[in-house]
Amino acid sequence: MTAYQTVGTATARVDGVDKTTGRAEYAADHALPGIIWGKVLHSSRPHARIVRIDTTEATALPGVRAVITGDDIRGNLYGRAIKDMPVLAVDVVRYVGERIAAVAADDEATAQRALDLIEVEYEDLPAVFDIEEALGADAPIIHPAYGTYPGSKPLDAPSNGYHRTVQNRGDLDAGFAEADEIIEHIYTTQRQHQAYLEPHTTVVAIEGGHTNVWTNSKVPYATRDGLAFTIGIPADTITVHALYIGGDFGGKGTPLNMPICYYLARESGRPVRMVSDYIEEFLAGNPRHATLIKLRTGVKRDGTMTAHHVQFFVNCGAYAGYKPAGVIGGANHAAGPYRIPNTRVEATQVYTNTVPGGHMRTPGGPQTVFALESHIDEIARALGRDPYDFRMQNLAEDGEQNAAGETFARVRAKETLQAGAEAAGYAQPKGLHIGRGMALGDHAAGGGHGSATVTLTPDGGITVGTPIFEQGTGTHTTLLQIVAEELAVDPERVHLDSWDTGAVDTDSGIGGSRGTRVASTVGHEVAQETRRALLRIAAEAANRHVDEFTFGNDGVIRHNSNIVAPRSWGDLLVATGQTAVGHAEADIEGRASATGFAAQFAEVSVDPETGEVKLLQFTSAHDVGMVLNPVGHQGQVNGGIVQGIGFAMMEELRVEDGRVTTLSFGDYKIPSAGDIPPLKTVLLPSDDGVGPYVVKGIGENSNTPVAAAIANAVADAIGARVRNLPITSERVYRTLKSQG
Amino acid sequence: MQLNVNGRTLEAEATGLATLVDVLRYELDLTGTKEACGVGVCGACTVLLDGRMVASCITLAAQAQGAQIQTIEGLGDRELLDPLQESFITDGGFQCGICTPGQLMAAKALLEHNPQPTEDEIKHWMMGNLCRCTGYYQIIESVANAANAARGDR
Amino acid sequence: MSPETTVTFHTPSTLDEAFALLKEHGDDARVIAGGTALVVMMKQSLVVVDHLVSLASIPGLVGIDVREGAVHIGALTRHRDVETSPIVREHLPFLSDVYGRVATVRIRNSATVGGGLAHADPSQDPPAALMVLDARVRLVSPRGEREVAVAEMFRDYYETVLRSDELIAEVIVPIPSATARTAYLKFLPRNEDDYATVAVAALAEVANGTVQKLRVTLIAAGPTPVRAEAVEAALEGQSPTAEAIRAAADLVADAVDPMDDFRGAPDYKRDMAVVFTRRALERVLLAQG
Repeated sequence: MTAYQTVGTATARVDGVDKTTGRAEYAADHALPGIIWGKVLHSSRPHARIVRIDTTEATALPGVRAVITGDDIRGNLYGRAIKDMPVLAVDVVRYVGERIAAVAADDEATAQRALDLIEVEYEDLPAVFDIEEALGADAPIIHPAYGTYPGSKPLDAPSNGYHRTVQNRGDLDAGFAEADEIIEHIYTTQRQHQAYLEPHTTVVAIEGGHTNVWTNSKVPYATRDGLAFTIGIPADTITVHALYIGGDFGGKGTPLNMPICYYLARESGRPVRMVSDYIEEFLAGNPRHATLIKLRTGVKRDGTMTAHHVQFFVNCGAYAGYKPAGVIGGANHAAGPYRIPNTRVEATQVYTNTVPGGHMRTPGGPQTVFALESHIDEIARALGRDPYDFRMQNLAEDGEQNAAGETFARVRAKETLQAGAEAAGYAQPKGLHIGRGMALGDHAAGGGHGSATVTLTPDGGITVGTPIFEQGTGTHTTLLQIVAEELAVDPERVHLDSWDTGAVDTDSGIGGSRGTRVASTVGHEVAQETRRALLRIAAEAANRHVDEFTFGNDGVIRHNSNIVAPRSWGDLLVATGQTAVGHAEADIEGRASATGFAAQFAEVSVDPETGEVKLLQFTSAHDVGMVLNPVGHQGQVNGGIVQGIGFAMMEELRVEDGRVTTLSFGDYKIPSAGDIPPLKTVLLPSDDGVGPYVVKGIGENSNTPVAAAIANAVADAIGARVRNLPITSERVYRTLKSQG
Repeated sequence: MQLNVNGRTLEAEATGLATLVDVLRYELDLTGTKEACGVGVCGACTVLLDGRMVASCITLAAQAQGAQIQTIEGLGDRELLDPLQESFITDGGFQCGICTPGQLMAAKALLEHNPQPTEDEIKHWMMGNLCRCTGYYQIIESVANAANAARGDR
Repeated sequence: MSPETTVTFHTPSTLDEAFALLKEHGDDARVIAGGTALVVMMKQSLVVVDHLVSLASIPGLVGIDVREGAVHIGALTRHRDVETSPIVREHLPFLSDVYGRVATVRIRNSATVGGGLAHADPSQDPPAALMVLDARVRLVSPRGEREVAVAEMFRDYYETVLRSDELIAEVIVPIPSATARTAYLKFLPRNEDDYATVAVAALAEVANGTVQKLRVTLIAAGPTPVRAEAVEAALEGQSPTAEAIRAAADLVADAVDPMDDFRGAPDYKRDMAVVFTRRALERVLLAQG
């Protein structure tokens, strides 16, 4: 492996001082003269015709500057891919929490009082909340006009199942015919809130025809373009300003109140700030989707898998607009990294009268991996095999296709599983009611468009400009480390400049584990461009041809025959008084060719009298490329696991009769420092990976297998197989009771 | 009303039901203190009142009159960071940073009260400061390392 | 979320001033102590009043001392101060521990003993301990004062027997006999920082192989904290065998009336009440292994 000075070291984060002194600016911190507060009225009905909205009293309240309803802004629909949602409901509401009116007032309390004065008369319509209900023959169609929406494809017949894909490989029927046993299970997963601690926040100020937006968006360019489309104004009249994002986990790509904030600013003529409270976040955010997953697998007595049928149903909620691709992927994870020649993977996206889902850390991944990896354990047990051995027999090896028919370079599934098993003490003796379970996941880093500019000034200034907003994972620091490395300077000397939108044409932002992949490629390229700019300055100063100079990894520029004395690039700029600028853009398409495996092992004790599950230890083995920053990398591993524990055992955005009922952090519990088990991490570094620094993504991989590992450990401990997340003590207790 | 914040007496226009976090952020422009859950569970709004940590989102500003209020702005600055700030930076004690001011104020109160906490004591004390990014391990390490640094072990 | 802006925050410096304010404003006033529950309810418009009467400036409502075989805890004493008080630790270590189980340090720094009892949330920990310790509250009003057993003060969810003009002045906790054994089992299957799915406090005195005195109380098991008198009666005067304990614990199923919430369905909580009652009884009645 190449020796590096800065890359691969625990370089302190560039945002450290800002964030530990309270000086880092987040959207809610942005102050403007004359700023007023915006607030939203949410529907109290899951499906209803709006007969009348009376805003007279609200408008008359002193201190109120604007009151708007859907009728005031009838215009383009909103949506990230499928444009199916109005900014404020028009004529009909489709979920409890749907935005139906908004108020801007001098202070938050007045805005709230004004909302309380708005009268809405509804006429209830039949509603459907579950996947099966919504797909039923006489279910009310939630979007009769689907097919006319921008980004949608017309359906053959009206259905709440608005999107369906079927992917066939081999001959499924022949595969099942070959099998000695066919094993079939149904799994369900719950809605999970991203639970970033910074709620969605937007500040909008319209000045002289230009719209300035401060919002916590991880995809500022897409946010700008989406707003422009919805309002019907040119994108270049909107600037989304750079700021820190207080946690994302997938949920900060959806603007929620942002378009409303624009209309309130326009209507009131004042800058408007909208800070969601956590009731609004839980009621009307964009949570991880609830799913229903049917798996059917044919297997021979010798353990060979012959056929595998996945039916993946996604409860999308009332709108598709919060999904960046209009649908939730991940179905392929329910096929898995196994050698199965005959597979069918079906995915159905279903509208229901519930809160629309959005993206969260590997959309679809934790759901499908939970189902598949639970199912694999159940197949192994049915055959009387140890789940570890059964996986080792069936995992695809390097050069083989996985069950979905994908081929990745340098597959290290078995090595990762083995390393995890050893670290977890999987084969060690264990006590009564103690169980160990494993699960495997893999994820190839996503692609995207990124860019960066490096500016070197004669006074020693080094600035890296980037269109990516720092949402917490350390992408800025990665970029800075690479530039420092390539220019052979102390990273502390590098200043980072987070750009507003408009600085470049476009940028993909953060998501799909692309951050490190894109940033490392862009960082490398911009550094090479900067080196070339420096060589040009050196050549010009010496009146020689640029090709005669080289840039050393020590930061020294040398002439090929030493006619010109070597000198550091810093000295060159001092001597010439010039400024060197390098700019690079990178378009990285599709998923990376190399995937990264995660093998996780949970050790639990289960109290058979109460069903209480205690996590005794958690082990996470990762097949990684080069680790650019070990502290940041470990932080992604730890954070992903703990979120996974929440998903597995405690978090559930409960929806009852279409209404979210877990409306505070008192009821929606996420893991605290008191809930974390001892953690072991095993890294299997290698020269495999993508891009100039051979990296793999980590942010998603550490999170996807957790629930399955815990479910399998619980089954190992007391034989209770919980197929519905979360694995609460009550579920374990009931499962045990039902088994007698 | 008058509030004593970080050793200075500040005048704020605030009525009876204004919460301390709102007054700090929107009247006194001390935006380092964050509000997240709004119900006293998550700890993002943690400040110290006479050295004791409280949730400023469920404390009325009126209740804080007469107390010495410490916020993140009073902890240490770029020129002279508190050992806790230093260790949070070097040991990965923050990622997105939104819970960090609250974590630091809670940790400050802990080390004032117990300069050499065990790992379990740190976990127990910090249990009310939620973090969605780090999984807590590196926060616990940061607090332990700051305690050691204060003792001269580092 | 900001609530109403017109609220007046009163800081009377004597009880008489406080009584006068409460009388003057009637239903339009609320007493505020630590505020941890009240402020949340006001932010969510569950409580809407124009006047808050803070007790924080009234002398004599904070503090802990021992008199006549009982620990006296002023109503405005913070949970955290009960937890860490050397006096409570010496005489009522069980009570320190239970106050230390409430929420998180940050909440315990604000929440007061009297405020918690007056709030009457049936999921709060302290009443369980106070009831098995036979504690009582001293109530004051313009008409004088009276004492009420903590076991008698709760009427329903968030409802107590306090009259509209009464305030809690202090909690009086008798120091139990040196041979009394106590246990508090709080079932937190979801998260360490959660309300209990169910919790059980027990206190027992055993002499000559016979149960002389037994108190069993459950919280998060009904609209009010529940004293399991049937369980107590089944074992008092008996020899505490494992079988007797099991049979007595089963009786708790009829004493509880748990509500359906995110911590469990009623039937599950009822089953858990039985399990944890049995375990608490085993702790206080069976010889330590």
